[in-house]
Amino acid sequence: MGTPPLINRLSVAFGACAALLMLGHAAAAQDYRLRLDTRWQTVAYRGVTLDSIPVGDTVSTPGSGPTSPEGFAVRCLAGAAYCTFFRPGPVRRGGPLSTTADLTVWDLGAPGLSVHAAGRLGVDLGAADIWPGSDPALQLFEGYAEYAVPRATARLGRQVVASRLGTMGFDGGGLVLRDARRGLDVQGYLGWGLARGTALPVTSPALNPLNDFQPRQRQLVAGLGAGWSSRPADLRVDYLREVDPRSDYFVSERVGLEAALRPVTGVRLAGGADYDLAAGWWGSAEASLGYATRRVSATLGARRYRPHFDLWTIWGAFSPVAYRAVHGAVTFAASPQIDVRGRYERYRYEDAEAATPLFDVQRDGWRWEVGTTVTPLPGWILDGGYRRDFGPGASAAGVAGSLMYAPSRRLAVTLLGSTVDRPLEFRYNDAVVRAYGIDAQVEPSARVRVGFAATRYEEIHRRPDAAAFDWNQLRASARLVLLFGNGADMGGLPPAIRLLPGGRAAR
Amino acid sequence: MIAHTVAAILLAAGLTAVPTPRGGLRAQQPDSAPRFDHYRHRRLFPTCVSCHQGAEDPDQPLWPDTATCNACHDGTNRPKVAWRPPTEEHPSNLKFVHDLVPLMTRQTPQGTESLACKDCHTPAGGEWMVVQRATPERCLECHATGAPHLASPDTLCSTCHLPLPRAAGLTAARVAAFPVPPSHRAPGGEFMGRTGLGHGALATGTKEPVAPSCAVCHARDFCITCHVDAPEQRAIQALEPDPRARAIVVRLQAPATHREPAFLQRHGAAERANPRQCSTCHTQESCLACHAPSQHVAAALPARGPGRGLGAQPARRPPDSHRENFANRHASVAATTPATCAGCHVRTDCLECHRSNAAAAPGYHPAGFLTRHPASAYARETRCSDCHNVGSFCSTCHASAGLVSSGPLRAGYHDGSRFFSVGHGQAARQSLETCIGCHVERDCLTCHSAVGGRHFNPHGPGFDAARMRRKNPEMCTACHGAAIPGN
Repeated sequence: MGTPPLINRLSVAFGACAALLMLGHAAAAQDYRLRLDTRWQTVAYRGVTLDSIPVGDTVSTPGSGPTSPEGFAVRCLAGAAYCTFFRPGPVRRGGPLSTTADLTVWDLGAPGLSVHAAGRLGVDLGAADIWPGSDPALQLFEGYAEYAVPRATARLGRQVVASRLGTMGFDGGGLVLRDARRGLDVQGYLGWGLARGTALPVTSPALNPLNDFQPRQRQLVAGLGAGWSSRPADLRVDYLREVDPRSDYFVSERVGLEAALRPVTGVRLAGGADYDLAAGWWGSAEASLGYATRRVSATLGARRYRPHFDLWTIWGAFSPVAYRAVHGAVTFAASPQIDVRGRYERYRYEDAEAATPLFDVQRDGWRWEVGTTVTPLPGWILDGGYRRDFGPGASAAGVAGSLMYAPSRRLAVTLLGSTVDRPLEFRYNDAVVRAYGIDAQVEPSARVRVGFAATRYEEIHRRPDAAAFDWNQLRASARLVLLFGNGADMGGLPPAIRLLPGGRAAR
Repeated sequence: MIAHTVAAILLAAGLTAVPTPRGGLRAQQPDSAPRFDHYRHRRLFPTCVSCHQGAEDPDQPLWPDTATCNACHDGTNRPKVAWRPPTEEHPSNLKFVHDLVPLMTRQTPQGTESLACKDCHTPAGGEWMVVQRATPERCLECHATGAPHLASPDTLCSTCHLPLPRAAGLTAARVAAFPVPPSHRAPGGEFMGRTGLGHGALATGTKEPVAPSCAVCHARDFCITCHVDAPEQRAIQALEPDPRARAIVVRLQAPATHREPAFLQRHGAAERANPRQCSTCHTQESCLACHAPSQHVAAALPARGPGRGLGAQPARRPPDSHRENFANRHASVAATTPATCAGCHVRTDCLECHRSNAAAAPGYHPAGFLTRHPASAYARETRCSDCHNVGSFCSTCHASAGLVSSGPLRAGYHDGSRFFSVGHGQAARQSLETCIGCHVERDCLTCHSAVGGRHFNPHGPGFDAARMRRKNPEMCTACHGAAIPGN
């Protein structure tokens, strides 16, 4: 696969060590928690298939462009012998089934020592393996041994570190030192990185369905972080460096800073920014003022978003531009039975400095949403909202509503419906999608949760040609969550605590 | 003579309590046995102790033997009777022993007199051999103000009663049937509160470590039913342990303050201000029923352990802010008060929805999001790549839908404008993450390469060639080959 045998062996060794630790000590361990979350759904998709016909076979109709004899609008380049068009693709049906296991084992003979693992087994029961995320079948999200004492936490194995620079997964070691009295902590970690947004190494073929360029070795990841936290304020700085071990060149190098002020109860002024040391430009940044009381929660802020690309791709050299946005959101409890909410954001891209002859591209966009939740009777919840998005590339507008009957926390049945218009900017594809369905969630005991849902989707494409095919389908899903565990100290505690991997101190 | 009288009354009444040498009580005639009709025999027996010698002489039996009865009830002169003296002791917690009767006196117009049997066992004005059980009220006629038994001052209880652990013969069922004094039923639940009428104040309001009256019905085990701070409470430790004390069922009730609407919001500050008041009923574990463990939460409270009560077991309930559909609008609250969220929630809670799952029904994204995701994805309403890998997630799905480019670029898909190809630069720089959901590097290098392409320069605002070359020149070679400008 291109990954050096040494790294492969070390990765396997990490996994094996974690597995051995878990298997070897699970029997002797006094306490464990295991959460199994199994989900399944049926999905269908119908895309398009590229086709072509000789120029001579096209049909010209007065007042419109050329079409195929079947009525598909065709695209003919000057001088080309063939015209191209997209005809409806086959209906693809999938049935992804996944089981996510979250295991924590402690009381291994030394106070503060524990082992954690989270992984997923996924298969597609459908006729076509069309749904993303089920390949490879077995994925290990986390698998590490942890030793935690009040002043330090050490981890070894596959772990995830979350910071404003993103969610970074790696196989290696991490250490957090803290002075709780002063609210200080220092963090460092080192290991072989995983690709962004997944638990797979960047060398995995599952990440390269289009056969693009792909690194041959996993990147080395090194990070440092330091934070200060007190009752009125937080401050944190993070540094992350990724290096290609084959060439010793950078994959990325970024630094992030974020701070928060809480001058009075319920008010939070927060902000942060990151700087791409490798590209030499500012990345994303944001500042917001939040206010939250029992009846009102509101946020007002501004943000800047710029995508980050690793240096093993060429995309950073294409000068992706940022957009700047102002936004606000408010939720208000008008009465004990009525909540209303609203949200608005307006954004504008920075100048791309690109010539676009004969073609205008939107630079501005906005999105807003209003909605309300009403509880007319105990256990009955009516929710409805309207949302509009407008921006470069695509827009959407639609309403959604639901009626939930939840006589207790152990049972909830919901009827839902929605409709959305979703035109695209770069393709004639004004479509209307209507959906209506039912969802039921049952919790027969604190250790078992069951859910079922079925939704009918009706999609109508509005095109003046034969490509205006419909895509209707019924989606069904099911979910079963089982909790296992023992430990007298945890008797009667709710799931959130039983699932706790290592406490807040360990995070 | 007095002793004889007392003994006779005891017998006539079929009394419950008969003294033992160690202060306990001997057996009482079982209720199921035929009762002796004293009044019918009023002409036969001149004194009580003629049958109940034990009332006068502890070395003698309290009850007559059957032979005494059978002397008359021989089946010829009189019908036989089935009466038998009790063979088992009847346990009680009374301190009373008949030996004390001669020492008990009362004031009469004639002066001080010792008590006789009839003083306790004959109703006022009753005839000879009209007998009854001795009642506590008769005792209290002398020992107190004549108040009803259970309404008497607490200080009197131990005058007549033994502490529960010393009343070894009492069964748990008997303990459970103890009558409840009116003081324990004070209106408004004051008895369980912390006011002057509260049980704590009463228990510790004497010069003894614990009020003796408490010990009559209760032992340490009873207090531990509720008190998690039992080891720290001197009064509780002054009581002896006795598991029978748990037969009196008590239910821990939350104070009235806990029912106030804002209590959930204020309880943290209240605990920090005075953790001791919480430690009566709450262990650290009761905090952890809701709170995520930390080094601060509940640090001042005792941990659950032997010798402590189970304490309050709060049922986790969401705060008022977590009303219906809170999941859909929690973002601003979570961003504003993350520490508050962390009081109850851990990362696993978040990942239940915030970790992508191919088999998951709508969670983080609303139902039907797939159909409208272009509007969110083009301008990255959120950071999609935090959860989704472009290659494994976006491109895989787009490929299966026929949306990705394959082979040489062809016109046709972006048919919203005839000139999209020549004018795509702005769209690409604005939404490059979206582009690479369907396009790969070679699609762009067809035109944007300095080696073999059409030499269209893709570098735009902010491009720092020297820095990028310094950080990773391999990227440059994708377009420039070995002839990287500036090298």
